[in-house]
Amino acid sequence: MSWPVFVLIPIALIAFVSGQLFLKHAMESSRVKGFREAKVITFLGCGIFSMTTHFFVTLGLLGHLDLSYVYPFQGLSVIIISLAAAIVLREKLNLRLTLGALLISAGVVLVSMS
Amino acid sequence: MTHNRRFGFANPWLLLGFEIICVLVYELLQKRGASETANLSQVWSWTGITALASPLTWLAMVIMIISLLSWLYVLRYIPLSIAFPLSRAVDVLIPLGCWIILGEHISPRRWFGIALVVIGLMLTAKPVARLEEKL
Repeated sequence: MSWPVFVLIPIALIAFVSGQLFLKHAMESSRVKGFREAKVITFLGCGIFSMTTHFFVTLGLLGHLDLSYVYPFQGLSVIIISLAAAIVLREKLNLRLTLGALLISAGVVLVSMS
Repeated sequence: MTHNRRFGFANPWLLLGFEIICVLVYELLQKRGASETANLSQVWSWTGITALASPLTWLAMVIMIISLLSWLYVLRYIPLSIAFPLSRAVDVLIPLGCWIILGEHISPRRWFGIALVVIGLMLTAKPVARLEEKL
């Protein structure tokens, strides 16, 4: 396993999680301020940039690795995004949602690794 | 039921389902496109740029844009901590689709993973009925 794997997998994961948070923040703000507000455009731009980075880094990884190796790391994004939404976006995260996200994350990892 | 509840294609739950199908299709195309072009350049292939030589990658990008637009609409109305876990239903649909349509074998470990995702989806979807009333 070469060094780019250990660098690119975390980059892909961070880009994906931050992209989702930026996009959610932009769309939440757009309900009140509309799409012409500078803050909404900035968050939307950051979100699209992060998701584009994730897209190309994932393409690079998929060209060299099996889907079953890359995908379990994507599975972790479920629990990370749920926790990040609670911390950064202040969404309500009760025990049921946390348990649900944990089970989905574990399930995705198992499905992908098989 | 509230007065601003959204019906038809404006319903964010329907668009969430549409987004899941788009992700299912573009992830398969993305993998095919990346695999086809992995040997074009040893250095640049890690960046994903060489995958652009495949038409499948371009098709994946078009479907990804459609899925992104649907996802943005979903995010406008549904909390990320609910919408994102539900969107991972795609991880159950891919192996189940391969089992039902292609007759592929599913290992016991994969069945266990599918069961965990389904239970997780059910737990996450429970508050959806209450949230639906707010839309």
